[in-house]
Amino acid sequence: MAAQPKPLHIEQANYLEGGGIYGWITTIDHKRVAIFYGVTALVFMMVGGLEAMLIRAQLIVPNNTLLSADFYNQIFTMHGLTMIFLVIMPLETGFFGNFLIPLHIGARDVAFPRLNALSYWIFLFGAISLNLGWLFGQAPNGGWFGYANLTERYYAPGLNIDFYDIGLLVLGVSSVMSGLNFFVTIVNMRAPGMTFMRMPMFIWAILVTVILVLLAFPAITVGLIFLFADRYFDAHFYRVIAGATPMLWQHLFWIFGHPEVYIMALPAFGLISEVIPVFSRKPLFGYPMMAYSIILIAFLSYGVWGHHMFATGMGPVADSAFSITSMLIAIPTGVKIFSWIATVWGGRLRFTTAMLFALGFILEFTIGGLSGVMHASAPIDLEQTDTYIVVAHFHYVLFGGVLMGILAGFYYYFPKVSGRLMNETLGKWHFWITAWAFNATFFPMHFLGEWGMPRRIYTYAPDMGWNFWNKFESINAFILGIGFLFFFVNIAWSWLHGEPASADPWDARTLEWSIPSPPPVYNFVNVPTVTSRDAFWVEKYGDVEASGLEGEGRTYIPEPVNEEVISKIHIPAPSLYPILIAFGIMMMGTGMLIEWYRVVLLGAGLLVFGAVSMSFEYINWGEDNEHQIHESFLGLDNRKLGLWSFIGSECVFFASLISTYMVYKSRNLGGPDADILNIPLTSFSTFILLMSSLLMVLALAGYQRNDKFWGTFWLLGTAFFGLIFLGGQVYEFTDFYMAGMHYNTNLFSQCFYTLVGFHGFHVLIGVTWLLVLAVAGIMGKIDSKRAIAVEVCGLYWHFVDIVWVVIFTLIYLMRTVKHA
Amino acid sequence: MSDHAIEDVHHGAHVHETGDHEHPQASVYILVAVVLIVLTAMEIGVFYAPFLQVVLVPLLVILAILKFILVAMFYMHLKYDNLTFSVLFVFPLLLAALIVTSLMLLFVYLGRHSAGGIL
Repeated sequence: MAAQPKPLHIEQANYLEGGGIYGWITTIDHKRVAIFYGVTALVFMMVGGLEAMLIRAQLIVPNNTLLSADFYNQIFTMHGLTMIFLVIMPLETGFFGNFLIPLHIGARDVAFPRLNALSYWIFLFGAISLNLGWLFGQAPNGGWFGYANLTERYYAPGLNIDFYDIGLLVLGVSSVMSGLNFFVTIVNMRAPGMTFMRMPMFIWAILVTVILVLLAFPAITVGLIFLFADRYFDAHFYRVIAGATPMLWQHLFWIFGHPEVYIMALPAFGLISEVIPVFSRKPLFGYPMMAYSIILIAFLSYGVWGHHMFATGMGPVADSAFSITSMLIAIPTGVKIFSWIATVWGGRLRFTTAMLFALGFILEFTIGGLSGVMHASAPIDLEQTDTYIVVAHFHYVLFGGVLMGILAGFYYYFPKVSGRLMNETLGKWHFWITAWAFNATFFPMHFLGEWGMPRRIYTYAPDMGWNFWNKFESINAFILGIGFLFFFVNIAWSWLHGEPASADPWDARTLEWSIPSPPPVYNFVNVPTVTSRDAFWVEKYGDVEASGLEGEGRTYIPEPVNEEVISKIHIPAPSLYPILIAFGIMMMGTGMLIEWYRVVLLGAGLLVFGAVSMSFEYINWGEDNEHQIHESFLGLDNRKLGLWSFIGSECVFFASLISTYMVYKSRNLGGPDADILNIPLTSFSTFILLMSSLLMVLALAGYQRNDKFWGTFWLLGTAFFGLIFLGGQVYEFTDFYMAGMHYNTNLFSQCFYTLVGFHGFHVLIGVTWLLVLAVAGIMGKIDSKRAIAVEVCGLYWHFVDIVWVVIFTLIYLMRTVKHA
Repeated sequence: MSDHAIEDVHHGAHVHETGDHEHPQASVYILVAVVLIVLTAMEIGVFYAPFLQVVLVPLLVILAILKFILVAMFYMHLKYDNLTFSVLFVFPLLLAALIVTSLMLLFVYLGRHSAGGIL
């Protein structure tokens, strides 16, 4: 029997207790937000699973008429979208990320708790938006990658694609917010002594994942904005007839799409990297190489998107380049697989349900990875594209791999989350049924693919030779569903009646197991000091190699509860604004869909009201700034770090817009082009914007020397110059419009208005922000100690300025340069 | 936590540097503004000067990069602030440049050599 520390008994409520329904709705506690994500994702797991059952029910026999072709399209599209965006991502980053990041790194919460709650509510309303189509019988039906130009209004006149477009846009906002929050938390809020090379591997995985989120989502956001413009404003971003190319969508989608695969895979890597060492009673083998491999995978994932497009005819040079990078990515992935095997090797294994799923992950993910290497070869991929072999491949990666990793993490962390152990008997039934039924469902798809069965066909003729394996797969898919019934029953039963869990039921290695299960609201009584990797293990047993230590270590005695210390812990107050803002966003999205513009305006009003109110509530004008900086790992202000992370994300957003302009500039099929641009007017606007940056730094300098008058004066001056710039832009746009250049006149007009318009929108946000600060300055809320609020706004303003430097040069001054 | 833990923390990277390094005086900001105005004037001059049209692109790119760097270094304080902020800015910037370059290559150059030039 492993050394079992006694559970802590404390007077303070754990995070699950207290507050009532209102307390839960307004919560900003990372653990409660994690529960929200977890419950929502599990509900959608049932929905996505039901959709999978319907797919298999339709394909069980040839010429089946159970589902219509159109309904089948909706079902398989929503199955993919649901499992990717509403199950895997929210479970990994939303549930595990939220719950574990602060506990793993020894923090009390995430860097921006209100933003965290806002991310969840936006996610929830985005998920609802995506599924609203079912009510109208018009759920998304273009596949999860929604290839243009089949998504154009001409080919897809219903609301299906609109739900897809707006749903994904909203979900993207939520993901980027979470990514930014977790990035700052991990980088700046680690406990003393927790260097990068002492972080738990799950934290490494999440850190790299959120970097991918921040730098990948802007590309699809731009693609979705173009799709929205095509569908709502009759633009031509993906219309060949106007000189455009649908390939633009594929590039933008897969620039996001392939990193997205790793956004899903890396957290699962991290989870099993926590589970396997604990149940092997050995430290993780090759920790540094594991960490470097994650970084390398992420880096390479940006250079492989073209392997999804071999069949589009990119040409031999591009195909070769993408083949090489795609094969290269197998190397760091292989390093990880061998490191997990080496961790297990020679260990004293405990085959708990969590361990079984982790071992299952290694096997199934390796099979999926090997077929992935096969697809990296362009000639082989050409044969296999759009066949069932691709379906087999990504289910081995995402179900056999990622979902098994998630399940390993779920069984492992359930005691910490709920304070109760999951039932191991039900868990093992779940595992063995899943292991059999998963392979029986998806392995034959390799054969069907090789025999030519295309993916996404809603039925097939009886003489194709596919009948037996389709029936076999469908029956096993239903068995797979039964296996998951064990899982859901186990969760419900264990939550209510499970055996109470001690703080450290698995004799684990990382910090979260040093605190009670479930954790108290404040997580740690005292912020821990970390001296090594596997900090808790070393604390329990000393700095020794672990194998063979079972039962030999000293019993860990948790820190005694100190009421005085606890009473001084600062826990941020709950807030209603996150849910108000998110509801406003949903109203705007839904209003656009059903073209009820009063609802859009009402939603916008709610959004602005909530955002301004929350900013007053949230930033506290930097009152606790010095304390926060002193407590942080890098000695940096969280808001500043967050703003710089946001700027990084914005770089990719504007790069995608600028790329489109450059690519489409010379594809214009007539009508106004760049010659129409008014250089004298824009030169004046450029001077104004540059000078506004001067006023901005003068405002900051004013507040920093506690000169409130001049600080506020220059702040108002900056806003005034920003308004002049905006006025110039309005004049320019009006002038062009009067000259006949409407938004959708040609490729040039739509690219120009979109790029320059989005920059103008950023300026507008900046001016609003400046005016809010100016009001705060007049109210005396900003002084030298709180000047960080001005500095953060200034960083945003200067970024908008340098984006204009690029736009002015590339779009205006190089207007005569032809790029193609 | 144990005593050795408290001692050992100093070997970690828990550095309590302040994120607010000394920012420059107003005179430096004004000087930078003057240089920005001059560079912008030069850009416009280059645009209108007929004899510079052959080197228009490299000249404009160089001038824009100079302006970009000046704003980032002085107004965004990257010259004075923690190196972390510079890394956070430069890495995505390189990625953004890679995306622009790749798409230009794929559509403009490689597209000509692809099947039917459909790209």
